[in-house]
Formats: sequence, structure tokens, C-alpha cells
Amino acid sequence: MEALSGTGASQGVEIVETELASRLVNGLRLAGINFMTYLPETRLSQILPIMREDSSIQLAPVASEAEGVSIAAGAALGGKQVACYMEGTGVYVSTYALLTVAERFGVPMLLLVSYVGSLSDQRNSFLYVRRGTRMIPVLEALGLEYHVLYDGENLETRIKDAVRMMHALKLPVVLLFTGEFTV
Amino acid sequence: MIRYECFEWMAPRIVNQIVVTSLSGQRIEWGHLSKHEGNLLLGSMGNALAVGVGLALALPHRRVIVLESDGSLLLSLFNLPTLANLGPQNLAVFVFDNQIYSGTRISEPTATAGKANLEVIAKGAGIDTAVTVRDLEEFKKTAAPALDGKGLKFVVVKVEESRGHRRIERTNVDLLENKYRFVRYLEKTEGKPIFLGHG
Repeated sequence: MEALSGTGASQGVEIVETELASRLVNGLRLAGINFMTYLPETRLSQILPIMREDSSIQLAPVASEAEGVSIAAGAALGGKQVACYMEGTGVYVSTYALLTVAERFGVPMLLLVSYVGSLSDQRNSFLYVRRGTRMIPVLEALGLEYHVLYDGENLETRIKDAVRMMHALKLPVVLLFTGEFTV
Repeated sequence: MIRYECFEWMAPRIVNQIVVTSLSGQRIEWGHLSKHEGNLLLGSMGNALAVGVGLALALPHRRVIVLESDGSLLLSLFNLPTLANLGPQNLAVFVFDNQIYSGTRISEPTATAGKANLEVIAKGAGIDTAVTVRDLEEFKKTAAPALDGKGLKFVVVKVEESRGHRRIERTNVDLLENKYRFVRYLEKTEGKPIFLGHG
């Protein structure tokens, strides 16, 4: 019986994940994003199969978040509306590219970052917590605008707001996903 | 063979291609020899190839030329399997491999001065067309179809150390000015806006 209950709970979580993931992808589409680099991780990975079913967002899998940022920068300079999907650790990996390409050249891009190790990360542990607690100071040191999303309330609007901001600034804007997005 | 003579041959052959360069001497030399509006002089090690890949994916009908160096490529070797798997057929990559970090001014050797072989690394990453050229005639023969043709090209150009770029007057066109000139050129030639948003 325990095993069956466990399966039911797990399915419930998957439904939440899939519903939020669908809304996230739809929000990106509605905001005009049509190109995304990614290095998959655990919290938001459900967006990828949904995106693959639809050709409206061109996907570029990468081996490092650093090249994810640089490839996205090239695509943005070629006329794409770009996003980079990465784990929070990817922000650290890509800091050099963010600074020397995206920030220095002034390239609009949306960073979709799973905020691992943050206070509301439902899977937080000693493995992740240091990465989470340093995230905001690092983004502020880079001079990047960020917004923390805890749940799906007005998700599509928040994505659209962030995309409008990235175009206005001509800089990366970061959405950090935690709380409900990390169950 | 030195890099400058390769660039002298290449510059007049760039018409409507897009060119991305990395850092140091090659940025200075290319910027001096080519006033093409489609030049993006990045000024950043380890990023030119990835930026070029992004441009090639965004503009699949345009030929994109990336001018890399051994030091810059070695900083971002993860670019190679990504390049192989994405496989943009409108991209040509030239790696000018002088086996030194020329920016150090003390000619510190890179790994290619030792045991590393960039053509072999590229092939191991899945870039089957990777080749190495070692003299100017061979360079011209390999570069001509890479500049104008189709297909993913990856050419390692073994060059001697040269310090000519140190005598070239540096440009006063900063990175933002270069970006806007590049973007306006693409907007003009592609007939579409690149940056959204209006004042």
C-alpha cells in the first residue's frame, strides 16, 4: 500500500510539473522567444519534451552554460529572440560569457534559471544550498536584473515583462524559478 | 606562413559573409585589413566560435566565418562537440594556430606547441571535415571553397608567430559601436529588425 500511495503522490507531482511546464513554454512563446540554448537540469526539465513537440522555439543543446550564453548571444545578434535555460550552477559557469559577451556587447537574452539551493527550493540539501545562497549577490555583482518566481501566478505575464525588460535594457534578464517549480 | 598574409588574401573575398573574430592579434589585424560592416570583432577569448554558431543557426542562408586562435579554442573545447552535433552547414571556422599565447608578449606556448592536435580533437568531437593546412597555397586552396561554399568547415591553420599586429594602430571603434554597426548591417541586408523595442 505504501508503494501505491507513493506512486499516487509521485503522479500528482508530475501533473503539477507538467502543467507549470506547459504554461512556462506557452509564456515563452507568447513573449516572442523563438530560440533557446539549454543544458538540462532537474527542476524545470519538463519544458524540454513540450518544446520538442513544437517547432516555434528553435532549440540548441549545449555542453556548457558558458557556450549556451555565447550561442544565444550570436543568435540574438542574428535576429532571434533568445533564452538560455540552465541550472543555477550554470550562472557561475557562464559568468565570463555573461560579462564579456552579453553584458559588454549589450545583448538582450532571457535566462531561465532553476534556483537550486534557494530558501524555497523544495529539494534543497547540503548539495545545493551554497549555490543558492550566493546567487543573488553574484547576479547583482554582474549588474543583471532578476526576478524570483515562487509559483505559477501570472506566470505568462511575468515572462512577458522580463522579455520586455531585456529588450529595453539590451541586456540579459534573469528569471529564477523556485518554490512550486522545484517540487 | 603568418596569419597576416592569410588575412590579406581573405579580406577582399569577404562580400556578404558574416565574420566573427576572437581576441588579440587577429582581432587587430583583421580589423585593420577589413572594413566590412559584417565584422563582429568580439575581443573575447573562448567565445568567437560559440557566437558564430549562434549567428549561423539564426541566419542559415548566410555564410558565417569564424576566425579563432589556438588559445581561444583551447579555453572552450566544449564548443567542438556542440558544433559537431548542431552541424550548421553555413559555418566555416579557421583556427589560426601559432602555438603561443601571443598576448603574453613572452610567447608562452599553448598546448598545441606540445602534444595537442586541434584537428584530431575536432575530429574526435565529431567534426569529420576538420583539416590542417601548413602553407599559404594549401591555405588558399582550402579556404576558397570554405569562404563561399556550403558545408561545415573546420580548418586549423598552422602559422608562425608574428608580432606585426603590435605595430598596427588600434581602432577607436569600441565594442558597442561595432555591435550597432554590425546589427544595422544585418538589418539592412536581411530586411528585418534585429533589436526590438522603440523609444
